[in-house]
Amino acid sequence: MDCRDLEGTLFERKTSVPSELPAQIQEHLLACDHCRDFVRALNLAVDEDSPSPEILRQIERTLSVELRPVRPLAPARYFFAAFAAIFVLTVAAGVYRLGAFAMSVMSSAQSIATLGALGASAGLLAYSLAHQMAPGNRHRVPPKLLPAMVIGLLALVMAGLFEFQHEIDFWGGGWACLRAGTPFGLLAAVPFWLLLRQGAILSPRVTGAAVGLLSGLVGTSALEIHCPILDASHILMWHLGIAFLGAVIGLAAGFAGEAAQRHLLSAQQ
Amino acid sequence: MERYQQADPEAPATLVRALSPALLRFFKSQVASRQQADDLLQETWLRIHRVRHTYRPGEPVLPWIYAIARRVRVDGYRRTRRITAHETTVGTLPEPRLRAEPRSHLPEFETLIAPLPEAQREVVTMLKVGGLSLEEVACATSSTAGAVKQKAHRAYHRLRQLLQHHVPQHNAEGRSREEIHGLP
Repeated sequence: MDCRDLEGTLFERKTSVPSELPAQIQEHLLACDHCRDFVRALNLAVDEDSPSPEILRQIERTLSVELRPVRPLAPARYFFAAFAAIFVLTVAAGVYRLGAFAMSVMSSAQSIATLGALGASAGLLAYSLAHQMAPGNRHRVPPKLLPAMVIGLLALVMAGLFEFQHEIDFWGGGWACLRAGTPFGLLAAVPFWLLLRQGAILSPRVTGAAVGLLSGLVGTSALEIHCPILDASHILMWHLGIAFLGAVIGLAAGFAGEAAQRHLLSAQQ
Repeated sequence: MERYQQADPEAPATLVRALSPALLRFFKSQVASRQQADDLLQETWLRIHRVRHTYRPGEPVLPWIYAIARRVRVDGYRRTRRITAHETTVGTLPEPRLRAEPRSHLPEFETLIAPLPEAQREVVTMLKVGGLSLEEVACATSSTAGAVKQKAHRAYHRLRQLLQHHVPQHNAEGRSREEIHGLP
């Protein structure tokens, strides 16, 4: 047992009270002055400093006055399924409207890898959003990092799968794709937002970026199935660009939401 | 918490009395004054009340509560920063101390962890004041258990360094360690 082991034990245990620690730790504490000071310092945290009874009564009164029964939020898997269903249905609507011309020009490896990467990204975002709706949920990937990770990974996949060619009408073709894909992203954003409203969004900017990206990916996916241009720069700029644009708009909406909340709270005070 | 969701009239008082002391310590340890900590505590309960439907029965309560408290703290910090940016300082009055004498040679917990970076301070406070496990802290901070463990490890390392600076200074003042500690 050394000082490092002691730290490890303290991480795992909710208590730092010496008498409640394992015997080996207590032995180490007898021998090590530094660890003894350290454990003692951590135990200072246990000292209670209670709020005044008046404040407690005031809080209780406020909560009791507005007390009504509420129905708990549905499990995260239902929301995950709802996000996924909205994603698939909107992409399907996009493909139905625009046509699936890209499928005949892409190789099977390109089709599988592109659609697989887009599906996996959408799945990760839907999973994260379903868990962001209730505070204190477990996240496999920190929600703050997820949008940047998804965009980065998709860019790498696209750049690896397709060749960089010289496209004759880069801006004209790109503008056409942007106009075709964006409405489907916007269309998906509405039901996504309606779903999210049922939960508690603690960090509007983080959730905004994720839902914006998921909406943008609807447009990107529809274009990947529709657009027969296989130039990597076209795909990165105009197809993946819609997803990026969605994330930026979502982030901006989140910032605006937070500012509005702060303004409202300041006005109430 | 489930009784609270079902509008049991006794539930709010039970919850508020059980959780408020730890929440207050959480806010105080994040370098908030007592007045600010009281305000944040009230705001936290209001927010908990508004989003009480998002607690899923059977799941641990503490990560849910602390995730909300953490958010209230961040919002409160941003609001205060915005206001103070527009205020002119006319002088600084010393804050009255709640305790006249520290009970040992060690500084108070809030003072001790004050030099730590915000993220580490938060993790240590949740672990040692809130009594949350590593997993629960990870849930409350939307992080992973590995990342929390790393932050806690860094924080503990830094705390040890701070204590090493503090204790020799104190010993030089002539009090024996045994007299102070009696530990364990």
